[in-house]
Amino acid sequence: MTRPPPLAGIRVVELAGLAPGPFCGLVLADYGASVLRIDGPRSPKGDVLARHKSSLCLDLKHPPSRDVLLELLARADVLIDPFRPGVLERLGLSPHEVLLKRNPRLVVARLTGFRRDGKYRDMAGHDINYLAVSGVLSMLGRPADTPLPPANLLGDFAGGGAMCVLGILMALVARQAAAAGGAGQVVEANMVDGSAYLATMPRLATKTAFWNAARGENVLDGGCPWYDTYRTKQSQSVESGVDEYVAVGALEPRFYDALLRGLGLDPATLPPREDKTQWPALRSVLRAKFAEKTRKEWEGVFDGLDACVTPVLGQAELEREGFLQRLPVHMSHTPGKAIPHGQGDWTGGTLAHGFGGEEVLSEWTGWAEGVDYTKTASGIAVRMRAKL
Amino acid sequence: MVGPPPLLGVKVLEFAGLAPGPFAGMLLADAGASVLRVDRAVPGQTHAPSGGKAVPTEDMLTRHKASIAVDLKTPRGVALIRELAAAVDVLIDPFRPGVLEKLGLGPSELCALNPRLIYARMTGFRRDGRYSAMAGHDINYLAVSGALSLLGRSGDKPHPPWNILADFAGGGATLFQGVLLALVSRQVSGRGQVVEANMVDGASYLATFPRYALKTPLGDKGRGRNLLDGGCPFYDTYETRDGRYVAVGALEPHFFAVLRKGMGLDPSWDTRRDDRAMWPELRDLFTATFRSKTRDEWEAIFDGTDACCTPVLEYPELEARAGREGDQRPAVTLRETPCLAIAEGVKDPSIQGQGSGLSGGGYVGIPLSPGDGGEAVLQKWLGWNSGKNYDVEKGGLVWKSRL
Repeated sequence: MTRPPPLAGIRVVELAGLAPGPFCGLVLADYGASVLRIDGPRSPKGDVLARHKSSLCLDLKHPPSRDVLLELLARADVLIDPFRPGVLERLGLSPHEVLLKRNPRLVVARLTGFRRDGKYRDMAGHDINYLAVSGVLSMLGRPADTPLPPANLLGDFAGGGAMCVLGILMALVARQAAAAGGAGQVVEANMVDGSAYLATMPRLATKTAFWNAARGENVLDGGCPWYDTYRTKQSQSVESGVDEYVAVGALEPRFYDALLRGLGLDPATLPPREDKTQWPALRSVLRAKFAEKTRKEWEGVFDGLDACVTPVLGQAELEREGFLQRLPVHMSHTPGKAIPHGQGDWTGGTLAHGFGGEEVLSEWTGWAEGVDYTKTASGIAVRMRAKL
Repeated sequence: MVGPPPLLGVKVLEFAGLAPGPFAGMLLADAGASVLRVDRAVPGQTHAPSGGKAVPTEDMLTRHKASIAVDLKTPRGVALIRELAAAVDVLIDPFRPGVLEKLGLGPSELCALNPRLIYARMTGFRRDGRYSAMAGHDINYLAVSGALSLLGRSGDKPHPPWNILADFAGGGATLFQGVLLALVSRQVSGRGQVVEANMVDGASYLATFPRYALKTPLGDKGRGRNLLDGGCPFYDTYETRDGRYVAVGALEPHFFAVLRKGMGLDPSWDTRRDDRAMWPELRDLFTATFRSKTRDEWEAIFDGTDACCTPVLEYPELEARAGREGDQRPAVTLRETPCLAIAEGVKDPSIQGQGSGLSGGGYVGIPLSPGDGGEAVLQKWLGWNSGKNYDVEKGGLVWKSRL
C-alpha cells in the first residue's frame, strides 16, 4: 500500500510568472504540495505549467489585497518569488524584515536569471543571456556555426526552476533537522550558477588533454563520428520532407565494434578511431552507410544490440504511439501524482485567474468571504477592515 | 554565522560509475552529506599495506568523497556492503537493472535490513521499457525521449548540448531531487523507500514547456525555426569582429527597441520584426552589424541596459578575470544553511557557500583513487577498524565475521 505523495501537506504560494517559476511550482505540485498561484492585474495569462494548482487574484500594490497574501504566507511553507531583485522588498514583502518575522518556518525561494549580487542583476535577460555569461553557452553548438543553446531547457528549466526545487527541498530537510528548531530561510537560485553547476563535467574536462578541443570538436559535443546523430534514408510511409535520424553513442570499444558489425563495415577497411585526424573520413563513411536504410530498418538492425544506436523519436510520433509522460523520478512508497492523460502530457491546460483560490484561502486561513475578505469588481481579493 | 549544510549527517554509499551517479553523489556531498564511493578492488594497489594509492578512476565528480575498494564477486565483500547498507541513509545504484539483485544487494534485501534506507537507482533508459537491457549514452536517452528532436539548427541534424541534459540535468540532478523528496518524506514517516530515476523521463519532463509549445504558434514551425530554438533572429548568438560572440535575447518589444537603438538600426524594425517573413533579412542585418564591432565594444554599448544583449563568455576568461564573476558557486544558495563552497577564499558564505572551497575552484577535476580515505570514513561512521570488523584481502575490504 502506498502513502500520500512526498510533499502532501506542504503549502506553496507561487507568485505568477512565466516558465521557470511555474516549472518550480509544477514539480512541487506533481509531488503533492498544495500550490496556490497568485495572479495580479498584470500577471501573464496562458501559463501552461499549471496542473494541480489553484489561483487567487490579488493586487500586491494595493495594501488591503496585499494583506491577504500576508495572511496566506503566515501559514505557508514555501513562497516562490520570480521577480527581479528588490521587487518583493518594494512591495513591502521583504523576506527578512517582514515575511520571516511573521512566519519563521517559511522557505522564501527567490529565482532570478542573473546573480542577485552580480553586475547584471538589474538588467533584463533571458535564458540565452544567462547561459552566455555563465560560460556554458561557449561550449555549445557546431564548430562552423555560432553557439546555440538547447532551446530554453538549460537556463529556464534545468538550471533555473529545477534548481530552485532542489533548494526548496534542501531547506525543507534542514528545517526539520533537530538542530534547526523548525526554521525556514531564504533560498536563492539563479540560472547562471544553476547552469554552470550542471556543466561541471564538461568544464572540468576541458582542462584535460583529450577534451580541450574547440567548441563542437570534442567527443561528447558533436566532434566525434561515433557520438552524433545521422540522417537516414527517407521512408516511404513518412510524411515527405520530414527527415529521420538515428543517434549513435558508441563510446566504448565493444559498443563501437557492435556498431560496425551492425553497419556491415569491416574494421580492417577503416582508419583506427583513436586517430583524430581520421575523424572526418570516418564520419563520411558512417554518413553514407546510415543513408542507405530507413530509420525503421536501422531499428530492426540495432534494437537489442549493445551498439548504442537508437532512433531520434519525434514528439508527434511518440504521442501517436501512446507514449506515457511520467514524472521524472519514481518513488516506491510515496509516489507523486501521475500525469493525467490528456491534461498536461502533450498539451498544458491553463489555469484561469482566480480559479480554486478562494477554497485554498479558506482552508489555510479560515477566512470567509464577506467576513474577512471581499472581492472587487475585477475579482481581486481584498481584506475587509476588522469591525471595531 | 551560518548553520551547518543541509544534509550534514546523511551517509551515502555510492557505487562507482561515470557521470550521472557521481553527479548525484556530488550534489549530496556539496550539501554536506558524507559520501563513500565503492570501487573495484585492485590487488596490490587498493588498500595496500604500503599506503600507496591506486590509479584514480576517470570520474572527476569526486569532491568531498572518500572511497573503499570491495570485490563484489566474493561473499565476504558482499557481506561487508550489506553491513554498510544497514547503517547508511542513501545508496546510489548506477547499474543496469538486475545487477545488484544478482549480488543479493537489491532493494528487497537491503530495504528489509534497513527500513530507513533510501535506495536510489539511476538508469538511462526506463527500467520497464523496450531498451531496458540495452547499452546507451546521453545522446540515446535524449533521442528516445523526444527531447533531442527539438534541438539543433533547422538545416542540421539534431544536436544535444554535450551530455548535460540527460546525464546531469535529467539524470543525476533528478535522482538527487528524488533523494531529497524521500528525505522529506522520511522525516514524517520514519521510512525510506526505493527512488528510481531514468534519463528518458528526466529529460522529457524538463522539456515539458517546449513539448506543449509544439502545438501552439510558439513552437509549431519545426526544429530550429521557432522563437527560442534558434529560429528567431532576435533570440540567437552572433559573431563579433574579433571572432567572439554576443547573445541576443530581446523578445519583448521594449527590450528590442533598446537593442535596436544600440545597434543603430532603423526604428521601423521595431514593428517589422513582428513579420516572420522579414526574419531572414533581419538576421542578415544583425549578422553584418554585430560583425562591425568587437565583443568588448558591444559590451560597452549594452552593459547596464535592458537590451538583453550579453557577451558569450569563455571559461578561460571566467577563470582568470575577477570582474567576470566566474567564481563557481553552489548550485543553489541557502542563506542560513549554505552548501559547501567551491571557489576558494569566499567572502560571504551565505552566498558563495561555506568552508574553504576546493583547490582549482571548480575548474580542475580532483581525482579520487579507489580505496582512498574510505577506511577513515568507516571508522568515523561506525567505529570500524581493520582487523576488528573487516580485513583486507587482495586489495578489497571483506567482512570479518563468519557468515
